[in-house]
Amino acid sequence: MITVMRRFGGLAGMLAIVLFFAISLPDTFMTLRNWLNISQQVSMLTVVAAAMTVVMVMGDFDLSVGSMASLAGIVAAVLFMQGWSIPLALLAALGVGLLGGLFNGIMVSLVGILPFVATLATLTVFSGLAYVISDGRTIFGRDIPAAFGDFARGGPNLPGGIALPNLTLVAALTVLVIWIVLEQTSYGRRLYAIGGNREAARLAGIPVMLLRLSAFCFTGVGAAIGGLMYASRVASANPTQGDGLMLTAIAAVFLGMTLTRDGQPRVLATLVGVFVLGVLDNGLTQMRVDSYVREVMVGAIILAAVGLSAIGRNGLAGQLRR
Amino acid sequence: MTLHKLLIGVAAAAGLGGVASAQDVAVITPYLAQPGTQFYVDGFKARADELGWTVNVIDTAGDVAAVISRMEDVVTQGVDAIVINVDPAQIGAGLSAASAAGIPVVGMDAGNDPLVAANVTSNGYAMAAETSVYVANRIGGKGRVVMFTFDPFPPVQIRGVIADAVFGNFPDIEVIDRITPDVSDGGIADSRAQMEAILAANPDPGSISAVWAAWDQPALGALQAIEAAGRQGEGIVITGIDANPQARDAIAAGGNFEASVAQDFQGIGSTTADTVARILKGEKPVQQVIYVPTKLITAANVNAE
Repeated sequence: MITVMRRFGGLAGMLAIVLFFAISLPDTFMTLRNWLNISQQVSMLTVVAAAMTVVMVMGDFDLSVGSMASLAGIVAAVLFMQGWSIPLALLAALGVGLLGGLFNGIMVSLVGILPFVATLATLTVFSGLAYVISDGRTIFGRDIPAAFGDFARGGPNLPGGIALPNLTLVAALTVLVIWIVLEQTSYGRRLYAIGGNREAARLAGIPVMLLRLSAFCFTGVGAAIGGLMYASRVASANPTQGDGLMLTAIAAVFLGMTLTRDGQPRVLATLVGVFVLGVLDNGLTQMRVDSYVREVMVGAIILAAVGLSAIGRNGLAGQLRR
Repeated sequence: MTLHKLLIGVAAAAGLGGVASAQDVAVITPYLAQPGTQFYVDGFKARADELGWTVNVIDTAGDVAAVISRMEDVVTQGVDAIVINVDPAQIGAGLSAASAAGIPVVGMDAGNDPLVAANVTSNGYAMAAETSVYVANRIGGKGRVVMFTFDPFPPVQIRGVIADAVFGNFPDIEVIDRITPDVSDGGIADSRAQMEAILAANPDPGSISAVWAAWDQPALGALQAIEAAGRQGEGIVITGIDANPQARDAIAAGGNFEASVAQDFQGIGSTTADTVARILKGEKPVQQVIYVPTKLITAANVNAE
């Protein structure tokens, strides 16, 4: 029984949140339209958090994802202004994400700087570049092709006349790709091995340096995709618009980790974490909870979930003994 | 969350809160931390309280995509009206969601868009007319004027257009320079440097009659340059626009900086509430832009506010 509690306590808590809103907002919460809304609202966070899971599997972090998201949006927008076609501009922005991720990987893995320090530094670098390229301006209006802004507002119609948002599809596809990489390939299993015990992994013949380096490319490209989705949703680009994604993405991964058996990051668990955050924003807004109180509550719920999970894992007595 | 709020939420969600007079209005902005925005919201809330509305102010802390998300949420919740304080061009998806649900959106100094029923703001043309006419009258319709403008930013560009027209209408006023300062550091420092160059190029006392600035920062920079050059006694008249605290201090000090124009932020908020009330009554505004009067600030009234 206790084992069951430990294993599924977190999940039960999250279901309780959904149940609470379903009862409090009987007419509007548990509707297909609302859930599609939520899926669209969290789509950018989903992509960035899923990518973040890849490095957190190894016990690393990438603090630069938010400013990379901003930078990617700015790069695409500036290229639009110069008359580049949409696909080419998007490819270039994704290329910037790949290069940024590669650079992070080199700093962390080859040079050997702690991920926290290395990616904190590149956070500033990417953010500065976004300001340099854009002159600090918000790029919007005629400079952004209509088709780019329309993408985030459209989507294939489901039977019943409701559209399945394009952004939701992009997020689902990203999660699927990362799930395959992490769970179904030896590459992914080796990343977990590095996370479990880096030294043992190295002794077992796993090319730790190369794998860590390459894993940061996922966060770079993921951040760029998230930033482009953001730019499409607001049909504009601003040198700071993606910055908020970083902390929320890390929070989502941590929330997800409370659901897994041994507290490892798993991409599907991250997805649940993302949805918990999205559902809280959506439900509390509909219940007219003050936006500042909402932030306090979201933080408190993260603490409660992660704290309960830690106590559940070791037992309160175990915590006290430490 | 208080139990009270929770109960309101539950009651409203259950359809018990739908009394005809008790309108439910959401105010959504990414900019609540900015002083001007707080005045708008205070003015709006004060008027909404009188009208007996339930107002939910949502601040997304700079996140524009979250404005769209929160708009979708309050549309789902079924509010009666939405007030935005963000450029409508960036939240098209949220405007479409509100429009599809038949919920009116009113802009509080937001910008114009076909899906925004009305936008309540200050008249930039009128503000520029106030200060440029002040300058022209003050120098007796005759003299050499320096202009500081910023055409890349539309709300400031229209101010320059009006000042051009006013000065152009006085045959004896000559605009000796029309400067676009570098605003990346706020605008004061570069305006000061540019003004120093102009002072150096026009060394004779009386060769510069006035400095007209499209907003306060260049006016403050010009004031610093004039004082640093020791030429504050020549009677050079300086005007700005916006009447920010630094400008008010300079005007109150009684130096060359003589006038600026204050927007009525609280008035924009309360007029927005009145506009929402009219729209909810079924009126359709003929004018999609609704102006709230501004006020010329000079030494005569700077301490009165």
